[in-house]
Amino acid sequence: MTTYILRRLGQAVPQLFIISVILFALMQAFGDPVATLGARTPPKPEDKERLRRMLGLDQPAYMQYVTWLVGNDWQKLDMDGDGIAETPGQRKGILRGDWGNSLVTRRPVLEMIGERLPNTLILMITAEIIIIVFSLAIGLYSALRPYSLFDNIVTGLSFVGYSMPVFWLALSLMYLFAVNFRRWGLPYLPTVGMFDPAVGKTPAELIKHMILPVATLAIISIAGYSRFVRSSVLEVLSQDYIRTARAKGVRARWVVWRHALPNAALPFITLIGLDIPFLLAGAVVTERIFAWPGMGRLFIDHTERADFPMLMGILMLISIAVVIFQIITDVVYSLVDPRIRLE
Amino acid sequence: MKQNLYTFLTLVVLASMALSACGGKTAETPAAPAQPEAPSPTQSAAPESPTFSGTATITFTQEPDSLNPLYTTMFFSGITRDFWLKGMWSFDDDNNPVLELAAEVPSAENGGLSADGKTIVYKLRNDIFWSDGEPITADDFVFTYDMIMSDKNVVQSRYPYEDYVTGVTATDPKTVTVTFSEPFAAWLTTIFTYVLPKHVLQPVFETEGTLDNAAWNKAPTVGVGPFVFSEWESGSHLIFKANPNWIHPPKLEQVFIRIVPDDAAQEAAIIAGDTDIGVFLSSDQIEKLEAGGTVDVIAVASGYDEGWFLNVSPVNAHPAMLDPNVRKAIALATDRFTIVNDLLDPEINPVNSTYWDGTSPYGNPDLKPYPYDPEEAKRLLEAAGWVDSNGDGTRDKDGVELVLRYITNTRELRKNVQAVVVQQWSLVGIGAKLENYSSDVYWNGYNDGGPQAQGIYDIAEYSSVGSFPDPEASANFLCSEISGPENPDGANWQGLCDEELDALLMEQAVTLDVEKRIELYHQIGKLMYDKVYYIGMWLDPDLWSVNKRLQNVRLSGATPFWNVHEWTVTQ
Repeated sequence: MTTYILRRLGQAVPQLFIISVILFALMQAFGDPVATLGARTPPKPEDKERLRRMLGLDQPAYMQYVTWLVGNDWQKLDMDGDGIAETPGQRKGILRGDWGNSLVTRRPVLEMIGERLPNTLILMITAEIIIIVFSLAIGLYSALRPYSLFDNIVTGLSFVGYSMPVFWLALSLMYLFAVNFRRWGLPYLPTVGMFDPAVGKTPAELIKHMILPVATLAIISIAGYSRFVRSSVLEVLSQDYIRTARAKGVRARWVVWRHALPNAALPFITLIGLDIPFLLAGAVVTERIFAWPGMGRLFIDHTERADFPMLMGILMLISIAVVIFQIITDVVYSLVDPRIRLE
Repeated sequence: MKQNLYTFLTLVVLASMALSACGGKTAETPAAPAQPEAPSPTQSAAPESPTFSGTATITFTQEPDSLNPLYTTMFFSGITRDFWLKGMWSFDDDNNPVLELAAEVPSAENGGLSADGKTIVYKLRNDIFWSDGEPITADDFVFTYDMIMSDKNVVQSRYPYEDYVTGVTATDPKTVTVTFSEPFAAWLTTIFTYVLPKHVLQPVFETEGTLDNAAWNKAPTVGVGPFVFSEWESGSHLIFKANPNWIHPPKLEQVFIRIVPDDAAQEAAIIAGDTDIGVFLSSDQIEKLEAGGTVDVIAVASGYDEGWFLNVSPVNAHPAMLDPNVRKAIALATDRFTIVNDLLDPEINPVNSTYWDGTSPYGNPDLKPYPYDPEEAKRLLEAAGWVDSNGDGTRDKDGVELVLRYITNTRELRKNVQAVVVQQWSLVGIGAKLENYSSDVYWNGYNDGGPQAQGIYDIAEYSSVGSFPDPEASANFLCSEISGPENPDGANWQGLCDEELDALLMEQAVTLDVEKRIELYHQIGKLMYDKVYYIGMWLDPDLWSVNKRLQNVRLSGATPFWNVHEWTVTQ
């Protein structure tokens, strides 16, 4: 087991290196970060040229990659634009733990990610738990009573839920529970943000502000996942060993919990294992609409600005998480499924 | 399942509301018993300290990149400075200067402006202090200038200091003297719109060699204004708290700015009353926002006019574009009145006739927008020799079809305008080739393949502004600024070189006499109108929403929150 994990980690190093090269190459197509710095008033051409030079954007792409990877503190830079490099570089490069600074805010990438990650995790983990619990419960119940009234209703709702665009669902929930409920004098929910400034940052405020975004995320995923659980349980229930178990008189409940569910859950574990690293990435649309200050918005805001150090930071973080969680998933799989041995 | 979820949600809401209600009460109680106590003589003798109450909530659709003005020219960063970092003066809702740090606006009469116009002397107030109690002196201004010009700081813009200012000196602790290489007419709106606290930032600059990573950029705890920075949670909000030490103490306790990137969500938040002020609304939202009777939508001119910039370069424009009569025909063939009526609100966005109509009083009031007159357009085109000789529906001359490259960015409204214009032009036999560029490409310079800078267009549509409320935007129209391989940074993307216009633009740039400068701008506007270098589409004021619970809000175009110290809230 230990050698297996070590071997997988060893493989991850070249894997991540190749990912970083590909990502960096893709970044070149994102547009000009300096062009959007002024937002409403495009920067003056002479300021643009100076900014490009000072931020190192006039360097060829491979040099920018080298700087990102190993830093530039071993060379001198031309900050005053006289053609002579005079100022020593400051960057250390990601291999030495320097994830770079955002071109937009000029602040360290890692610090900015650190500010957003907790917000995203609190939202995404809550949603993920609700998704797992509800989709298991609904999927299992449907599978045990296939084509019953409940199953048919759930099937119908799942297709409705699954085919709803996120932004539409989010705005509908917001208008219903936050705008119209308030107008009708009913107990209402807040529209945007994490807390009401008049009340302050309390746990109660946080829960209140989380309800709509979590509901948005959950409804759509539960719709899909419960179908997945249902079909996977149905498939297992038709297996020979289930029939054998039933034939030898095992109680129905025992059949489901002891024999059917663990086998049906295996593909679900893979699914969740693949999901977890992406919890770090946040939910772009939901976070944007509910003004939730998470990773999804950080990513999309900085994509619009072609802020490549920030984007590289976020994407590498997710890549690392994917690699690690794939290893963890495989390990967990071997523990849950005795047929699989990691050798 | 949904029912269960809903019941659960309602319960949670009720529980949290009960909790938050309790929280509110406990916070209030300690203040109440303090009052009926017997007033001790020392207490009543103490100077009246102002009391603050209420929170104003504002939504920003973009998060500021930085709060340090060195590192951003973003609108949403700039407008926060009305709270916490005042400059020499602000501008009120009539665009008149309102003194903040300066004791007077320099003028020839008070000796602030030298006779040759190359020296401006700013007198500072004696009663201004940084929020930490340090006095504000001329040294702070010298330091600010040094930081802007330092090669150690990756500042966003050095305009206008780099091109016009030769030096900033502290004549005495309360006098700042700025010298210019030539008289600089736009000084009122561009010089020292902010100042940096030397006592806070100089030590940082000395130890780190740059201000790029200063903590103050994200958390400027020392400022000067009616509010003081309190916190900024990335992606979420910014809070500014009342500053009792400012010359005009505010009435509100705090200003809370929430970042809400989605327009539809901002609209919901405004309607629900979760925010008091929102900006960058569109005219089709007005009815919905005002329906509940709790919100006013206000149009505030900030100098932006939507317009067509015509490429008249002999090098790369369509040959027809070089003929003023053809350009006039293009204007007459475009029914901008219907466009404004159908796609916008003609009350808020009337068709403009010059680039400066939104920058009162510099727009020429005698000019009326070119009318819609397709018959006259046809006549002009025929007289110029553009006729449809091959019967393909588009006019041509010497084998060249009259098909114009009409470009803009990818904004939805502009795409709709393009579609309407193509139809209108087809009625008079003008063809169009439409192009839409993403914003980062559209405004790129010559070397970065900007379509305007490279002149690969005939008509470019966008909204722009000078140094509002100053009209200065000469660089866009000067011969010397024409962009090209030899001058890649040139700001004149129209290839426009008109000697008469050049002379007028250069004269206004060094004319410090306001009345005379207005007159010059009226001449400039008339000349550009007669020769059709610019075709106005519509005035593009900013639409703000203000909840009625917030009172005394007088938004201005240049410094929107200039009177924030007078704001109050009613519950």
